Amino acid sequence: MAMNDADYMLPCGRDVETVWDRLTIVDAGNADEHDRSCPHCRAVRESLRALRAAVDELASETVEPPADLVGRIMSAVRADSRRRDMLPLPSQDPNEARISAQAIASVLRFAADTVEGVRARRCKVRQSDSADSVEVELSIAVSYRGLTAGAYDLVRERVTSAVSARIGVRLSRLDIVVADVFDT
Amino acid sequence: MVTQTEADLDDATLVARSRDGDMQSYEALVRRYQGPMYRLALRMLGSTSDAEDAVQEVFLTVWRRLAQLQEDRAFVGWLYRTTTNRCLNVIRARRPQADVELDEHESTSTRTRPDHAAEVSEQMTALGQALTGLTPEQRACWLLREVHGRSYDEIAQTLGTTTQAVRGRISRARAQLAEVMAPWR
Repeated sequence: MAMNDADYMLPCGRDVETVWDRLTIVDAGNADEHDRSCPHCRAVRESLRALRAAVDELASETVEPPADLVGRIMSAVRADSRRRDMLPLPSQDPNEARISAQAIASVLRFAADTVEGVRARRCKVRQSDSADSVEVELSIAVSYRGLTAGAYDLVRERVTSAVSARIGVRLSRLDIVVADVFDT
Repeated sequence: MVTQTEADLDDATLVARSRDGDMQSYEALVRRYQGPMYRLALRMLGSTSDAEDAVQEVFLTVWRRLAQLQEDRAFVGWLYRTTTNRCLNVIRARRPQADVELDEHESTSTRTRPDHAAEVSEQMTALGQALTGLTPEQRACWLLREVHGRSYDEIAQTLGTTTQAVRGRISRARAQLAEVMAPWR
């Protein structure tokens, strides 16, 4: 059924929306003569107060999704994600070992996060000209409180050593881009 | 040496990492926002199983389309938009007579006065029922604004309409719902 605004006009000439808008004014003790004397407005005001109480409860409702929903969502996400961007790892011919750029990025982000005031964000990993080295562009967010002197060098140092120690490839180039500040 | 778990990180950081394919970061976002999305879907669809399916579908869709998100900070708005539209599509696909009655579920909000709690819960049950009497678009506008605190602009974008139309729908919804609340005044 189509409703039109005339359906909410009170016999006194005010509509429900006006009463709603004036509710705060009335509750603050600044009612005008009409607010005080009109029985129609008073009745609607009471209904709106009852509605407001129910809405407050609805808004603080804490009904939670079932405990296994996150697991179900993440299974679907994993099933959907094909491993792309595989990079070769140093290995003895004729054997071949490959690693996903994603896995390298995870290791790099973890290494950068260990520096105070730094949060790694995007991390693009490309193979460089030689087979056993990679080029990385790492974007980071830094704390608005600022970084200690030498923090960028420390990021560079930790990321570089993580790549060689944990993955076994050399970092031929690392570009660090400050993309944002965070304030938590 | 500091290491931060995903649960401590801000949304924009988690979104940027998720876009890179980092599933742990995405899982942290799912944990953070599955509750509000589920509650929105539950009030929109009135069925726990439909709400679960909708939320699962939403997070999978968002994961697939993360590359299209222009601004990492806009993630939450995007999530609300995707959830709302998913719910509206589910409702449109239902047979007209099959609009489900809201599940009776216990409100778990804690009240200090039990007598008051019983009374308010009864009001809330009535409100829940009254919500099913609104059109799906009205219900979406009203829930997004009054329960989830989203802006008029964002709601207008979500429903592909103007802020003026959103304000109109919300005020009509409020008037209809207030009528249902009359017995408790």
